[in-house]
Amino acid sequence: MIQKKICMVGVYGTGKTCLVQQYVQGIFSVKYLSTVGVKIDRKEVKVGDKEVTLMLWDLEGRDGTRDVNQSYVRGAHGIIYVADGTRPETAKQLHDLRRIVTDEVGEVPSVIALNKFDLKDEWRLSADDEEAAGAPGMHKLKTSAKTGEGVEAAFQWLAEKTVNGAEKSR
Amino acid sequence: MTVMIDSFGITDKGKVRENNQDNFLIVDISKSVAVRHSSLSRDKFGNRFGMTGGHLFVVADGVGGGPAGDRASEGAITALLGYVTETVGCFNSYSASREHELFEKLESTVRGVHDKLREEGNPARGESPATTLTMVLLIWPRAYLIHVGDSRAYVRRGSRVQQLTRDQTIGEYMINIGAWTEEQAARAKPAATLSSAIGGSELTPVVGLIDLEPGDGLMLCTDGLTKHVTDDRIASVFGNPGDAETVGRQLLSDALAGGGTDNIAVIVVNSAA
Repeated sequence: MIQKKICMVGVYGTGKTCLVQQYVQGIFSVKYLSTVGVKIDRKEVKVGDKEVTLMLWDLEGRDGTRDVNQSYVRGAHGIIYVADGTRPETAKQLHDLRRIVTDEVGEVPSVIALNKFDLKDEWRLSADDEEAAGAPGMHKLKTSAKTGEGVEAAFQWLAEKTVNGAEKSR
Repeated sequence: MTVMIDSFGITDKGKVRENNQDNFLIVDISKSVAVRHSSLSRDKFGNRFGMTGGHLFVVADGVGGGPAGDRASEGAITALLGYVTETVGCFNSYSASREHELFEKLESTVRGVHDKLREEGNPARGESPATTLTMVLLIWPRAYLIHVGDSRAYVRRGSRVQQLTRDQTIGEYMINIGAWTEEQAARAKPAATLSSAIGGSELTPVVGLIDLEPGDGLMLCTDGLTKHVTDDRIASVFGNPGDAETVGRQLLSDALAGGGTDNIAVIVVNSAA
């Protein structure tokens, strides 16, 4: 069985835990509970004819008092950076977070999830903000942990990239 | 860096129950191989485990009528101890694959106990042994956590105390999905029913980890404590400096003073450089 470590990274309250919960359990939690440390979930997916286990490391969000712990991302095969579309500052911090992560794991397949897309009336990301949040080679998409929009696509893209990318580099 | 671990555990049947179905376990783990002297830097060994030791902390709250509940919590703790004795001594790596293997084995141990309890149960005789379980395996600085049910783990950094686990109860689930408000859950009888338990009809172990810093603390407890001691009071007692035994006894005393309607188990862990 192929196993891939995927880390959820972002500022606090951007919906990292909800995205994992929607992807793994198909439910949306309305109650906000901040993650302390790392919560680890598992999801089995198919990439082509291969069975792949995604180990989903849901990291505590960056806030004013704590940063991303580099030891948590050690050995990651893929990263999902999560920003909250209703809080543009969470997208602006992604560059900084990406630097912290790549210092530890180098360039690995990454997704940028512009989350909470169901809150269309409160969406504050301009087209420029959305453009600036990405980087070459990164897959960027709008997601909603509430409706499920973009969630499966984000994880599946990453699963394929981590498996196929690893094969190409052999 | 050498880190000193001060830990203390205590359990009490409370003021109402006849028996105590809560159990706890504190284990110090060390390798039999220790590097005494070498020209190499200690960093070269990559052996955090051998230098600082490992620690296992477990609380379990048995349910299920009569002695069955006691056997359930006892069985879960004994199985974990067996697992740790057999395998964790070899664990000294931060690598993702080794950590995932550790989680898988821990989970599979929990599932093994679950299957055994399900086989042993006899619902016709009112015996459906089940247990909660909150376990921390500390291989400094990393604390690995596995959790089932409504026992809890808290972490303290500075004076800030945060809950590491989420109760696996019907009430918590209904609040999470927006079906109930906190008030509705407080009034509803089935709210306290476990939505996940070892030996229960559902089992969904939650795994996680946290890297500790010197000075951090951990507190594990069963719901006999949290039924009677508020989060604010826990933060006040556990959030203030004090040796593990003093803090543990104070929390137990608070739970008893608050009514002691259930069995109580509590473990307090302090770290210091």
